[in-house]
This record gives sequence, structure tokens and C-alpha cells, in this order.
Amino acid sequence: MFWKFLDDVNFIARCKKYNIGLWQCPNFLFLAMGFLTVVAMFGTYFASKSFDDETVTIVSVTIVAAIILTIGSLIIRGVERIAEANVMKNEFISIVSHQLCGPLSAIKWNMEVLENDEFSDHLKLTSKQEVFLKNIKDANDKMLKLVGQLLEVNRIDEGRAILKSENIDLGEIVDQTIAELNELILEKEIEVKRRIAPDLPLVFADAAGMKTVIKSLVSNAVKYSRQKGKVEVDLKSTGRKIIFTVKDWGVGIPRYQHRKVFEKFFRSANEARYRTDGIGLGLYLARSIVENSGGKLWFESEAGKGSTFFISIPIAQKQF
Amino acid sequence: MSNPEKKKILVIEDDRSLQNALLEIISQEGFESESALDGEEGIAKIKTFKPDLILLDIILPKKDGFEVLEEIKKDETLKNIPVLILTNLEEVDNVQKALDLGATNYMVKSDFSLKDVVEKIRAAMK
Repeated sequence: MFWKFLDDVNFIARCKKYNIGLWQCPNFLFLAMGFLTVVAMFGTYFASKSFDDETVTIVSVTIVAAIILTIGSLIIRGVERIAEANVMKNEFISIVSHQLCGPLSAIKWNMEVLENDEFSDHLKLTSKQEVFLKNIKDANDKMLKLVGQLLEVNRIDEGRAILKSENIDLGEIVDQTIAELNELILEKEIEVKRRIAPDLPLVFADAAGMKTVIKSLVSNAVKYSRQKGKVEVDLKSTGRKIIFTVKDWGVGIPRYQHRKVFEKFFRSANEARYRTDGIGLGLYLARSIVENSGGKLWFESEAGKGSTFFISIPIAQKQF
Repeated sequence: MSNPEKKKILVIEDDRSLQNALLEIISQEGFESESALDGEEGIAKIKTFKPDLILLDIILPKKDGFEVLEEIKKDETLKNIPVLILTNLEEVDNVQKALDLGATNYMVKSDFSLKDVVEKIRAAMK
């Protein structure tokens, strides 16, 4: 507690962390203003005691008020600078991501041409060369996914998320997702148990968004499971809502990190030991998408025992 | 000599590596193709090449894709040529603007494979 307080008032370290000068740093300015207010109070008190003239008190109060006002405006300017830096950061991410999309799409399309039958027949690649070609393609797909996530996060932060809600069949999306993750599932030799209740009603949500969410949750479950582990995917109706559950017996998330799981760029301490890829945007995006569709996303997890993630989405009012 | 049987596609795209891949797949799919690297060259080629379909990028030198699209749709002799937008701008405002100006379809490059693009070309030519 005491150390935390000391850390809070250590304005030099704080201002250094934000990379701004002392006179632009709200932490320092706020402390300076507090100190000045206390000094001014005593000063005014003693001035009014020592001099009988009221003018002295009025002048000293006016001077103190002017100084406090000046520092106050400096604090506001400091806060504005931080807000401006945040806007600039978003713009920077947006520009860089857009610029990256061009060359990454070019690599993707040119790889596709190379893989096309007409070309690959002439190329006569050895199986080893094919593996390397596939490595390039996979790496590029990963980069495209990262850039896509960064752009999506920017859109959500700026309130420009593109969601098109319509009646969708979550069962179908779960099946598609498992099929798309087949390679990863086979690679880790994971047994995926899938239980989808029959005749599930449709939900009103964004199809592409929900697919991103489910894919992100199922692939996390597979990624953080141990080799030859088990993952359970469950979809059922409670009458008003559809509940999607994905459970794994993998590395889990330590309790002290639970409240940070849905934060931007969060990566669990024990996650980093198992995987080094990913930038910690998947769950942040997932929660935003689910909440924008009127649903909820939550989890239960214990380090070393595994995690269960839940989504609840309201059933569509009109079932067609 | 151009083959009258073959449908003609004009690709207006300033990134040569993207353009090359597009032209290759288009010719493999049996279309005849021409290309332009900027908006002005694009307008000129539309008039001489008389394409059956146009693939148009938005961020282009000299004249951007929106200006090119506007000119095509204003010209009575060209306005019926389907225009497919192929860009990396995914903002709703841009999509809406292009569709309002008369684009047949709007594709974000990073979301589409060449196979998808060919599918959209065939669908627009039906």
C-alpha cells in the first residue's frame, strides 16, 4: 500500500514513462498545484495576521488564484497532449496498417498465381520447395491477420466498427470454424468433442464478426491445450439465449490476471511461455464484437487446469 | 488482333505486383486484358480498348478511382460497363460512395483471394 503510494507520487518516473517534460506532465503539475495551494493558504493566513491592511490579503489571494489558474491551464494542456498523442497513435496505426495491406495482398495474390495449376506444372517444385512456399504463404496470412486485427481495433476504438446484424445459425458457424481449424487440430492431435443441440433457433448478430469470435476462442483452446489434449465445444439454448461454450484442459490463466484478460494487448504470463506469436488482441476484439451484438462473453479459468469461455447471444425475435 | 470471342477486362491499378498477378489470372481464365497505372491512363484506355468490365483501384495517381468512376458513369457510351472496385480502403463511407457512384461491386484486396475476384468478375458479366 505504502509502496504503491510512493510509486504514485514518484512523478519523475511517471513523466519519464510518458516521455514528456515536467511542465507538461499532469502528475507533476498536480502535485505542484497542491503544494502551492497549501503554501498560499499559510501565506495568506500569516499575511492577514501580520498586516492590518485588507488590501494585502486581497492582493495575496488574487495572486495565488492567478497562479493556481495558470497551473490548472497547464494541467489541462498536459492532458490534452496525452489525448492528442492517443489520436495520433490511432492514426499512425491506421496509416501503417493500410500501407502494409498493399504489399501483403500483393504477396498473397502472387503466391496464389504460383500455386495455380498452370504454373505449378511448369515449376516442378520438389516436395521440400513446396514446404518452403507454404511457409511463406502461412507467414503472410499471419501478417494479414495481424494487420486486420489492428485495423479492427482502431475502428472499434473510434466507434467505426462495421457490424451487419442478421439472422444467423451459430451451429453452422461452429462447424465451419472447426473445419477451418482442422490443420491446427491435427497438428496438436487434439480430440475436439462437439455437442450442438438439435433445432437451435437463429440468433440476430453479425455473421463475419461471430465467426471471428468463435474461431478465436476455439483456436485459443486448441493452442493452449497440451499435445493430444481434449477440447469440448458446446452449443445449447436456454429459451431466450444461445449459450456457446468452449472448454479446454490446457495451461489456463492465473487468477491474478483474470481481470486483464479482455484488455488490449494482454498476454497471459504463462501463455508467453507456450506461444510467442499473437499480440493479445483476439479476446479484446471478441468481447467488443459480442457486446455490439447484444451478447456477453465471460470465462472461468485456473492456471494449470484449463479454461472455459462462454458466449451468450439473444435469440432472434423473428425466426426466418 | 483481338479475339472477338474473348471478353475484355481493363485493370486500373498502380501497384505493379498486384497488377501482374491480376493480369496473369485473368488471362489464365480466358479473358483478354489491358492495364493502366493511373486514373488518366485508365480513362484513355477505356475509350480505346472498350472493355466489357473494369477492375478499378481507388488510390491512384493523377485521377483517383472515384473520379474515374464518376467519368465513366457520366458518359452515355461507357456507363453500362460494370466496374468492380478493388481497394484496401474498407471504411463504410468509401464503400457507400463507390456504390452510390454506380460501382457493381466493392472488394477489399486483403479479404479476397484471386479466385474470389474471378468469381465476382464472372458474376458481374452475366
